Amino acid sequence: MNQTTVANFEKPIGCYSPSVQELIVIDDVLSAMVGIEGRYVLIKTVRGKNDDISFLVDPSMDLALQELAKRIFPLCKSFLLIDQFVESRSQFQNGLVNHAFSAALRALLLDYQAMVAQLEHQFRLGRLSLQGLWFYCQPMMRSMQALSTLIQKASVSNICGSAVLNLLQSQAKAMAGDNAVRLMLEKMTQCASSAYMSILERWVYEGVIDDPYGEFFIAEDKSLQKESLTQDYEAKYWRQRYSLKDGIPSFLANIAGTILTTGKYLNVMRECGHNVQVPPSENSKLMSFGSNHHYLECIKAAYNFASSELLNLIKEKYDLTGRLKSIKHYLLLDQGDFLVHFMDIARDELAKKPDEVSVEKLQSLLDLALRTTAAAADPFHEGLTCVVEKSSLLRRLGTFNDLEASQRSSSDNDLEETVSITGLETFALSYKVHWPLSIVLSRKALTKYQLIFRFLFHCKHVDRQLCGAWQVHQGVRALNTRGTAISRSSLLCRSMLKFINSLLHYLTFEVVEPNWHVMYNRLQSANSIDEVIQHHDFFLDKCLRECLLLLPELLKKVERLKSMCLQYSAATQWLISSSCIDLGKSEEPIDSVGLNKAKRKSGQVLKSTTRNVAVTDSVLKFEKEFNTELQSLGSILNNNSQAEPYLAHLAQWILGVKNEQNGL
Amino acid sequence: MPREIITLQVGQCGNQIGMEFWKQLCLEHGISKDGILEDFATQGGDRKDVFFYQADDQHYIPRALLIDLEPRVINGIQNSDYRNLYNHENIFVSDHGGGAGNNWASGYDQGQHVEEEIMDMIDREADGSDSLEGFVLCHSIAGGTGSGMGSYLLETLNDRYSKKLVQTYSVFPNQMETSDVVVQPYNSLLTLKRLTLNADCVVVLDNTALNRIAVERLHLSNPTFAQTNSLVSTVMSASTTTLRYPGYMNNDLVGLLASLIPTPRCHFLMTGYTPLTVERQANVIRKTTVLDVMRRLLQAKNIMVSSYARTKEASQAKYISILNIIQGEVDPTQVHESLQRIRERKLVNFIEWGPASIQVALSRKSPYVQTAHRVSGLMLASHTSIRHLFSKTLSQYEKLRKKQAFIDAYRKFPMFADNDLSEFDESRDIIESLVDEYKACESPDYIKWGMKDPNNMTTGESSATGSLDPNQ
Repeated sequence: MNQTTVANFEKPIGCYSPSVQELIVIDDVLSAMVGIEGRYVLIKTVRGKNDDISFLVDPSMDLALQELAKRIFPLCKSFLLIDQFVESRSQFQNGLVNHAFSAALRALLLDYQAMVAQLEHQFRLGRLSLQGLWFYCQPMMRSMQALSTLIQKASVSNICGSAVLNLLQSQAKAMAGDNAVRLMLEKMTQCASSAYMSILERWVYEGVIDDPYGEFFIAEDKSLQKESLTQDYEAKYWRQRYSLKDGIPSFLANIAGTILTTGKYLNVMRECGHNVQVPPSENSKLMSFGSNHHYLECIKAAYNFASSELLNLIKEKYDLTGRLKSIKHYLLLDQGDFLVHFMDIARDELAKKPDEVSVEKLQSLLDLALRTTAAAADPFHEGLTCVVEKSSLLRRLGTFNDLEASQRSSSDNDLEETVSITGLETFALSYKVHWPLSIVLSRKALTKYQLIFRFLFHCKHVDRQLCGAWQVHQGVRALNTRGTAISRSSLLCRSMLKFINSLLHYLTFEVVEPNWHVMYNRLQSANSIDEVIQHHDFFLDKCLRECLLLLPELLKKVERLKSMCLQYSAATQWLISSSCIDLGKSEEPIDSVGLNKAKRKSGQVLKSTTRNVAVTDSVLKFEKEFNTELQSLGSILNNNSQAEPYLAHLAQWILGVKNEQNGL
Repeated sequence: MPREIITLQVGQCGNQIGMEFWKQLCLEHGISKDGILEDFATQGGDRKDVFFYQADDQHYIPRALLIDLEPRVINGIQNSDYRNLYNHENIFVSDHGGGAGNNWASGYDQGQHVEEEIMDMIDREADGSDSLEGFVLCHSIAGGTGSGMGSYLLETLNDRYSKKLVQTYSVFPNQMETSDVVVQPYNSLLTLKRLTLNADCVVVLDNTALNRIAVERLHLSNPTFAQTNSLVSTVMSASTTTLRYPGYMNNDLVGLLASLIPTPRCHFLMTGYTPLTVERQANVIRKTTVLDVMRRLLQAKNIMVSSYARTKEASQAKYISILNIIQGEVDPTQVHESLQRIRERKLVNFIEWGPASIQVALSRKSPYVQTAHRVSGLMLASHTSIRHLFSKTLSQYEKLRKKQAFIDAYRKFPMFADNDLSEFDESRDIIESLVDEYKACESPDYIKWGMKDPNNMTTGESSATGSLDPNQ
């Protein structure tokens, strides 16, 4: 029979009887189903357009057969399209998802071809009619059709990676009504995504990006080095080393952030030399992402593991809390005895101009101070280093990034640097932080610590100078100072001491200590390093704010008061010895202790009286300026206390309870 | 080893309370009776070097001088468990061992004679420290050695170490009952002059109040010296905690004192402590919060200065300054709340001529001393009512002086030879002006007190003893 048809292929098919025609048509259609042209079924492709395929039949064919044949052609077309797609997508540059998808399609096509072969076999046995062929094609039709529309979409936009997965998924959803097709598409999705899932798996279980075709949604910026954390103010390494790209597969969209952090944490641990892997368990294979959401649980489990492991590492092995306590000892002066000693021995060096101060010398003095005080017991004190900055605290705050622009504008113009700035105004401590603690104690965090330190340090300096002035007053207690400038002066000294003590008291016991306490408790219950960072940053920001460092207007008042205190304490020696001359002796410079033994000389009444008047005047002038400034600070504090309640505390400290009592 | 403090314990009382003080410090720092660090004392963060130094063999040795004119108390120390603690070169007992016979003049005179020997000891100790901060003197003001020799030492220290601070823990005699020392008012007055002029700070430990506290608060019917002394050592060790367990503030003596002492002469501090216990007494466990502690510290019954002095004219009496040293496990947020409550309840009456408030220092507690309470507190305060203590001394002195009683015992000594009693008069005047100044502090316009008479600048000039004249 075959022989006959082959011999007569030139003839139009109409020459044959319908039964013969049917046999020919079946033969041709079976060929067309695997993409081979027959004698009377021609395949036409429009040049350049691979997907525009049409099938032509000899018009002389029996109409009934023609109709039946044409019904089968879409299947043939789908096959051709899918086959083409498989061929083209198997090329290496199309990425793992496409490869996996093509492989799945190829397997499908193989099944299809096997079916065609079986049909052909039946045909050879003479058991297949065209009707029968049509019948057997039915189950394949819809699936092939759906696939071909899908791949058409895919090839039009030439997508790869997660977009393919998204397309597959959305198509499967769209086909929800057709169970067979939906199942087939879901299976395709699963096959296509298996490669993607193994990328994901390596990332969330090992923190490795194994993504040769750039399909994964997490990008790594290798140019950012972890060492940069100690320098980089923005902490780019932590925030940008790994980032999310576009094209997150829709089924992972909700959990992408978690996935990113999981791998990030694993990476941190690897950078620390700990090759941590999420321990494999029976169900941990990230296979399906069907409706059971198993993969979500796996990712959560991996995240929990990674974050608790990293937190443990940083807390236990790298002793984060110990470091924080240590920093609190030195930069927040929680253990201030080293500072007393340091200021004693570094007094001369710090009195120089900033660019003349020798940082090396300060460093060795600091080391000495640390070794001989309570700090010696703290193994972490070695991380402490000295810095001498270029500008005053006010100026530095002006350039501090976080300072709100609104409050800056007004104060910028009169932030003029005083010429007399010394190392005392620019001295700061710094702390060497190493990876991985630099994640928490980033450059920015340390800068904030330093700002607070500089403020505290200068307050301490003022306090010391006033204590010196107080001691000068103590030296003259043997004299009857009643009715002289000295008693007035000692009261002014008391007011100033009270002011600076109250300020320090507020800064330490009202701001630093309670906030630290709160942060410390939060850190104990934190679940991830990001939470730790967040609590720590919150603490620093709150401290900065409550230490007035973000309120330039107030800070300037405080600085002015402090500089008055300094001027006064510098003048005390002169004030006291001048007035002592009146009370005591007139020749030698005053050694305050010997005064009570001194005999007074007469005949100096006039001279000493005028001098005493001058002394009294200057004490009164100091007193007036100081009180005016203090009152104005008080009223600013009270005015702002509505918005910033902590300022009320400060006002209470500085102004005491006096106001309240007067109000009664 | 910066900011060291050298302790001088003079006389019977001074050595007894000093002994208790060192016992307490040793306990708190985990130092054994022999001066060796205990094995358990591994927690760092404390400053032992302020009060101790280490010998070549790692012994911790107190920076202390034990001085007495009679050997009984010091022998007792040398025969006690603590005999190896002290540096034996630092013990001075007068050769004749006869004491000062409760006579200030005798103690002063003997002090003069042994000045060289004692100053050698002091200089040696001072040279052994890196940057000496000052001296602490423990003594009583009523007897002979502590008062007389203590006075002489105060003057000498002031001369020789003018830049160093001098703080004293001075035990004031029991003024309520008749004392066995009949010349107590003389001795007290003469010592008070030196305390006023030659000390930077005097912590007043009033025996009357200590006894009252022992009886009322600790329910001891007949408090022994040892028991009242343990109260004193508690106060002394607590008032030095900020130096020994450094914190944010008050890490040096000058900072501690400067914030408390308003004017050069008003440097007498009173103390309060809670919760009080003495050795071997069953601890009554009670709730101790910061507020409880602060509130109790303001109650007269916990204050170690006679209560009669605090109730009389109580409405006028005012606090000039308060420092509360709170030890133990404290939630720092409680501090502000407690202060707020105290302010609202108006529990404190402050001076009106300047800002004043309670300063708080939080301090660690020794990890080696177990106590039944979580929080304890010490108050150091400058309070105007302290003047009543001085007035009482003055009035007792006047009574004796009017009768010229027992003056002969003093005339035997050079200072009062040839019936020159001007030292008494001078002392009286100074104490009187001190009382006046404290009284003036109670008035709202104290700030003008010093300046109220513009002419006194010249009138003072004409007075022969101008520098010491209180009558301007």
